[in-house]
Amino acid sequence: MKFKLGTMLGDVIRSAFKSPATERYPFVRKEAPERLRGKLFWDPAKCTGCQLCVRDCPSEAIELIVLDRVSKRFVLRYHPDRCTYCAQCVVNCRFNCLNMSSEEWELAATGKEPFTVYYGRDEDIQFLLEKIARENAGERVECPE
Amino acid sequence: METQRKFIVPIGPQHPALKEPGHFQFTVDGEIVTDASVRLGYVHRGIEKGAENRNWTQNLYLFERICGICSHVHATALAIGVERLAGVQAPPRAQAIRILMAELERIHSHLLWLGVAAHEGGFDTLFMYSWRDREIVMDLLESLSGNRVNYSVNLIGGVKFDVEDKHRDAILRGLDTLEERTRHYLNVVTTDRTFLARTRGVGTMSRNQAELFGTVGPTARASGVARDVRVDAPYEAYTLFPVNLVTDEGGDLMARFVVRTKELFESYRLIREILDHLPSGELTVRVPRKIPAGETVSRVEAPRGELFYFIKSNGGEKPERIKVRTPSLCNWASVMQVAVGHKLADMPMILSGIDPCFSCNDRMVLINRGSSSQVWSWDELRRYGIEYYKKL
Repeated sequence: MKFKLGTMLGDVIRSAFKSPATERYPFVRKEAPERLRGKLFWDPAKCTGCQLCVRDCPSEAIELIVLDRVSKRFVLRYHPDRCTYCAQCVVNCRFNCLNMSSEEWELAATGKEPFTVYYGRDEDIQFLLEKIARENAGERVECPE
Repeated sequence: METQRKFIVPIGPQHPALKEPGHFQFTVDGEIVTDASVRLGYVHRGIEKGAENRNWTQNLYLFERICGICSHVHATALAIGVERLAGVQAPPRAQAIRILMAELERIHSHLLWLGVAAHEGGFDTLFMYSWRDREIVMDLLESLSGNRVNYSVNLIGGVKFDVEDKHRDAILRGLDTLEERTRHYLNVVTTDRTFLARTRGVGTMSRNQAELFGTVGPTARASGVARDVRVDAPYEAYTLFPVNLVTDEGGDLMARFVVRTKELFESYRLIREILDHLPSGELTVRVPRKIPAGETVSRVEAPRGELFYFIKSNGGEKPERIKVRTPSLCNWASVMQVAVGHKLADMPMILSGIDPCFSCNDRMVLINRGSSSQVWSWDELRRYGIEYYKKL
């Protein structure tokens, strides 16, 4: 066997004449792969409230809040910060209510608000938020201090 | 002045050589290491306990996170075991996609190791270029699964996504480039004189030693031990796509470089064969939420060696017990033995020679040393605890 010196010198010299491989993100946004699992979206139209998505979520990132089961009034509360983006909920849903976007993946934020997302009919979300606000106000009244 | 005292060099848990925490004590005589010991457990995460509070599907994602590099094989090992307990088998196409991902993952893991090991030997050029080429396989994994790590390919009872024609073409194109580059790297690690000075004859482990220390994976195969779960006990689609074993008689660091690099060629061949003969059909099979009571052992070949899962179900939605033994744990004894007699400066190379993964192997291990075993009652244990803290 012949032993050599500088076996990778060729690579180094060739690289000197190549343009840089770095990308100019965030100035130039690179297209994400088609199958990227980004932010979760929920379509309330076909949901039956079976809760299978919630039961198998490994990180407890989704809550399905039932306002009225008979008239199918549900609100999905989604926590993108807890989500591991495994898409198990999407696989579990038999009615294709859930899907993960390959477009929305820049989810970093400095505050906490963007990490609680409500999906559902506008009036249902409004109803739920008002209910939560009432409950919060009620608790504060009961507090001895 | 002559002294009889031993000089011990402590390294770690945080140290410049490796990126993960582990504590090593090397007893040295001048530059030469005369004794070595390792202390693990800095990244114990209690995953096995956590598994008991999650259902089978949730555990799939928990166990995928045992290792960031070989995440797919962990999920595969669990899925195979659970499917066996449930008495079902993933459809042929799903099995083939599982091993396709496993082989792509092996390529990415071995290229990563090649870079890290070269970096420990001071050969940063090889590190940079092998990692640049690793991006090709990372992009392939990303296009197939949508993620660079934690691909989440597996479901209990199958896989999530299919391999389409466009993926097939992209993989074949990528493999052609990678094959050419790997040939170059094999040439580099076997002929570069400065690099061979760091690897040839360093950390030599004979076949007997390798068997005695219970080494697994490429570390064992580099010492001539023909041991590979894919060959010895083929699982999933490995029965359809047999693997040719790669071994080397050298036993030194160079042999480990050669074995891992040659395994890359074997993975390229295997992936091409899988893509040419991908079985058609369904991707999933229905598995009940409650897994029948029973216990099983699931073994798969991770990039670092044999990965062992013990799974016990009590008939519910959650496991009773899952025990994981990762390949790195098996290989530690060999490092501590072959380190003796080498220079202290060779230690990072010898350590990285087994491709250690610390957070993988940090699990509760109870060593029963025969005579020292004893049964304590709760009271005795309590009294012992009180006495112990009084002494401090």
